[in-house]
Order: sequence, then C-alpha cells, then structure tokens
Amino acid sequence: MPEPFNVQHTSNETKLTVRGSLDINSAPDLADAIDKIVATRPPKVIVDLSSLDLIDSSGVAALVKLYKGVRANGGAITIAGARDQPLAIFRLLRMDKVFNL
Amino acid sequence: MVATIRLSVPGTLRYRPIAVRAVAEAARLVSGSTPRDPRNPSIDPLAHDIRHPFDTAVVSAFMEIFNNIAIHAYQRKGGGSIEIEITPTKDAIVIEVKDDGRPFDLDNVVDLPAELDEESLPEGGMGIHIAKTMLDEMTYEPGPPNMWRLSKRLPAPQVAVGRS
Repeated sequence: MPEPFNVQHTSNETKLTVRGSLDINSAPDLADAIDKIVATRPPKVIVDLSSLDLIDSSGVAALVKLYKGVRANGGAITIAGARDQPLAIFRLLRMDKVFNL
Repeated sequence: MVATIRLSVPGTLRYRPIAVRAVAEAARLVSGSTPRDPRNPSIDPLAHDIRHPFDTAVVSAFMEIFNNIAIHAYQRKGGGSIEIEITPTKDAIVIEVKDDGRPFDLDNVVDLPAELDEESLPEGGMGIHIAKTMLDEMTYEPGPPNMWRLSKRLPAPQVAVGRS
C-alpha cells in the first residue's frame, strides 16, 4: 500500500499529496503533518488530491484547517485534482467554489 | 432482488473499513456500477472504487453515520456493537444501523452557513449535513437501541439500464 500522504518541500513551494481514503481513521495523522506545514509559514502550498479515492467530514476538516492556516499566514494554497466521491463531497459542502475545484 | 444483508461489528472505528466495504458492495448491486478492471495489476485491489453517483451518496452517508455512532454513541470507547442491516432492491437501498450507545440529539445539529467563503469554512459539524443531503430519507429514533434508517433511490433514468 502506498503511503496515505506525503509532503515535499522545494525552494518555492510545499506539495502535499493525499492518497486512498482520507477519513476519521487517517485524518489525525494528516492533521499532525498539517500542523507542521502551517508552522513553516509556507508562501505556496499545492494539495494534490488526484489519488484520493474517498473522503469523509473528518478529512474535509483536516484540509480546511490547512487551507485556513496557510491563508492566515498570508500564503497561497491550491487544492487540485479532486475527482469522484471527494469532488462530490466538496460540491455538496459548496467548498468547490472556495477551493476553486 | 430483495435479500437483506446483516453485519454486526464492534462499535469502534477499527471496524469501520469492513462496514464501509460491505455497504459499498451492496450499493453496487443496486447501481450496477462495475469495479475497475481487477486484472489490471496497476490497480490496488484494496483501493476504494466509489465513482457512481448512487454509490457515492450511499457510502458517503453511511461513513458519517458510522463515525457518529463510534464517536458520540460509544464515545470512542466501544463497549457495544453496531448492527447493520442492508436491503438492496432493484432501484433502492435501505440501511438500518442500530447501536446501544448514548442517544444522539439530531435536533441540535447546527446548519452549515448559507454563504460559504474563506472565513466561514466549517471545520466540524459537517457529517450529519453530508448524510442528510446525500440521501433521499434519513430518520433517527433514539433507543435503546438507537436506530438510523438511511434510504436512497436510484434516479429514474438509470433504473434497469443494462440489468436483467
């Protein structure tokens, strides 16, 4: 099984890739990683959801926390690649417009 | 096709993936959605394959209700079971979920903000909203046992397409 998420830092951006299922069982680990990302006050964050199959409200909450944390520090954040069930959830919650999905 | 599937799991999040898989496959019986080619070695057989809108609605709602029971009814401590009864028919699914934990106050769930912007993005309270919106009908009766009843119909144009 691939790692459920990974974080890559380059000189000008931080990329978070999330895979598989982001749910109440996996979100706490991601939340720790998110706290670390936010603490570095990154100027630009890319969240790649193209390998994400399934999300629940806990997973959405983790991504919202990242979004708010990065924006609060004046950083830019792009959430990209959401498809299938995760995209349906963002649309239902009307977050697709805020996230520009 | 009216055959009821019954599954009993301990009321903790550890058993959530088993229950979600069972519900996903039962939804597929109704929607007729096909899984990705299982012979393709690049596809992880354990990957979730929820693409059909009907499967999406049923699985999304069920996941939230399971979370709710494990967290609120059983307070993340378990100590009881979650009884799941799934009845797929040719154009609908009904899922009854029972627990013996604390009753949930459904009336106290706060609505999500009507207008969503960066400031008002919610970080919680979304689960019941997701379940309710995804389903055609969701009822809850406090117990014991507490019982959630989730139902979803296949949209009319898709009924019986490509199915015998």
